[in-house]
Amino acid sequence: METLQLEVLTPSGSIFNGPAKSVTLPGEEGEFGVLPEHVSLTTLLQAGVVDVHKEDGKTESIVVNWGVVQIAQNKVVVLVDGAVAIRGESEGEIAKALDEAKSLITSVGDSNAMIASVSARIDSAAHHF
Amino acid sequence: MANLKEIQRQIKSVSNTQKTTRAMKLVSTAKLRRAEELAKRSRLFAQKTNQVIAEIAGRIKCNKVGGIENRCFIENDAPELIDIIFVTADKGLCGGFNMQTIKAVKRLMSDYKNKNVKIRLRGIGKKGIEFFSYNQVEMLDVVKNLSSAPDMQRSSEFMTRSINDFKEGKVDAVYIVYNGYKNVITQELHVNRVLPVNVDSYDCEEQKNSVLELEAQDEEKMLDSLVTKYAEYNMYYALIDSVAAEHSARMQAMDAATNNAKEMVNSLKVKFNKARQEAITTELIEIISGVESMK
Repeated sequence: METLQLEVLTPSGSIFNGPAKSVTLPGEEGEFGVLPEHVSLTTLLQAGVVDVHKEDGKTESIVVNWGVVQIAQNKVVVLVDGAVAIRGESEGEIAKALDEAKSLITSVGDSNAMIASVSARIDSAAHHF
Repeated sequence: MANLKEIQRQIKSVSNTQKTTRAMKLVSTAKLRRAEELAKRSRLFAQKTNQVIAEIAGRIKCNKVGGIENRCFIENDAPELIDIIFVTADKGLCGGFNMQTIKAVKRLMSDYKNKNVKIRLRGIGKKGIEFFSYNQVEMLDVVKNLSSAPDMQRSSEFMTRSINDFKEGKVDAVYIVYNGYKNVITQELHVNRVLPVNVDSYDCEEQKNSVLELEAQDEEKMLDSLVTKYAEYNMYYALIDSVAAEHSARMQAMDAATNNAKEMVNSLKVKFNKARQEAITTELIEIISGVESMK
């Protein structure tokens, strides 16, 4: 099966770099999904959750605060200001990532509704573990 | 005998200095490793951001997509007022590191003065600020203690003022001058024009193969925020790069100082031994001649 090459970059380093089956991005105008063979596109992202559907069927969530995505020839490059990946080896690590993700969202959020909806999504992502 | 004491005192003083310079070198080496790591990690982000921006800018230059008239992408041939932002270190003792940046700024300033372009100077880093205020060059605003500890938020705040002035049309170009890190022993001077985005290097032929598509409806908005981030990020990257370069420059300078001190101690030791032998010879002559006269 064809896959996407996804790269999530922040000023302090790369958060994710690898193949994915598909990826869901929080676009400025609403959430959108990207599958392989997607048309080339450059657009803005707003604060939200990037869901990466990996090859092994697992989903990884990355919380971002602002960003630009460039999609070209099965390559997805997400440039973000700040990002926290919700993952970890132990429960403690995951809890720490969750806290970081929430504070990241609260720091950029301008409306309570947005913060609440993203926080809810973060929590639901955490339930996967 | 007084001479001997004097030399001994000198040796001690030089070797104390040597100890200090060696310690400073070690500190810089440790700091360099961290700064280098940081710079390396954000280099990728910088490259990608610049790539995206360059592609958009190139497209606008080559076929004027959607008639975009964003100032940030349009070449201005007759600037009236420009911003020059320089980044120097907060501390000295790092060889010619700061002076190189200062010289580049002066060169850029005189270039533009000859063209009757007004300049606003904005400074980061104590050393550069001190130099220009000593020479009574007016600076629009200055920030200290930022270049030794780069901080995204503070650098963005600083940069935003220039970006806004540019967007409002008060300023026609924004330059960043800093000394960047190339490798452990070399620094590289950068004079970057951040705004308007440089499209000179963009080849229209190549652009035909470009696969970039822009979302039509939010083009203006997207370009606007993209350019802001791009400029802010470039500022931040300049700071990170400059810190790494500063530490590598200081490491080298201190290494050289330690070696010089070592040489100096050696030559002083030779001098000391000669003086000691001389003193012994004199004493011996005195004793022998004393014995001779007793006969």
